[in-house]
Amino acid sequence: MSSIGSIPSTLPGLPASQLQGLLPQLKVGANPADALHLSQPSNPEGFGKMLDGLVSMVDAKQAQASDLTRKVLLGDTDQLHQSVIAMQEASTAFSLMVEVRNKLVESYQELMRMQV
Amino acid sequence: MNIISGIDITSGALAAQRMRLDIVAQNIANAQTTRTSAGGPYQRQIVSFETEMVKRSGGQMLQSVHVSGVTADRTPGQQVYNPQHPDAGPDGLVTMPNVNLAYEMVDLITASRAYEANLSVVKNAKNMAMKTLEIGK
Repeated sequence: MSSIGSIPSTLPGLPASQLQGLLPQLKVGANPADALHLSQPSNPEGFGKMLDGLVSMVDAKQAQASDLTRKVLLGDTDQLHQSVIAMQEASTAFSLMVEVRNKLVESYQELMRMQV
Repeated sequence: MNIISGIDITSGALAAQRMRLDIVAQNIANAQTTRTSAGGPYQRQIVSFETEMVKRSGGQMLQSVHVSGVTADRTPGQQVYNPQHPDAGPDGLVTMPNVNLAYEMVDLITASRAYEANLSVVKNAKNMAMKTLEIGK
């Protein structure tokens, strides 16, 4: 990728023959993007799936916490610490989800601010 | 999978220390009990712990703790002369439980401090997780 970055500074002074010689380099520079499937979204629902998984994990943790708390309040179990720990776990998972969401919004706004 | 690491280990330790507190409570409550369902005076109960392997998905095995058993202290109880007591023998002596309140208080404080230590671990682990979420801010 560094070859692409260095081309514009050297491009105006180059004879046509040297420019031809650079073309394969340009293609080499483009190849890693193909390898990463950046240009062709072969798996369009991958990101949505990841988000969905994150949200359902947080939801499961909150359901587990409320279930444990209900059990303690109903007297089915005396494991008070498990209930509180599950609540903390759910709270941390929620914070993680909010962090991911903040990061996404930030990236979106960064894209929107981009000069065209 | 746990977001807060080590919390499943500490959870087992907390349950074990709670069990110990419960047994201390039982010992203190029965410090004067001269009649039990098994016959004879109450015998002081002792809790023993053993390690418990906890397998995490994709992680290494870690050792938590759980109560391996509650055993009776076999030391003979104190003999008190009290002929009016319904459980007194023909010589007027009553065998009292072998509970020593001083021992129980020490056990109580130890269990309570151990519980607090494990709570500190939980608090610290949670703080670490929250600090981790602040990376890049």
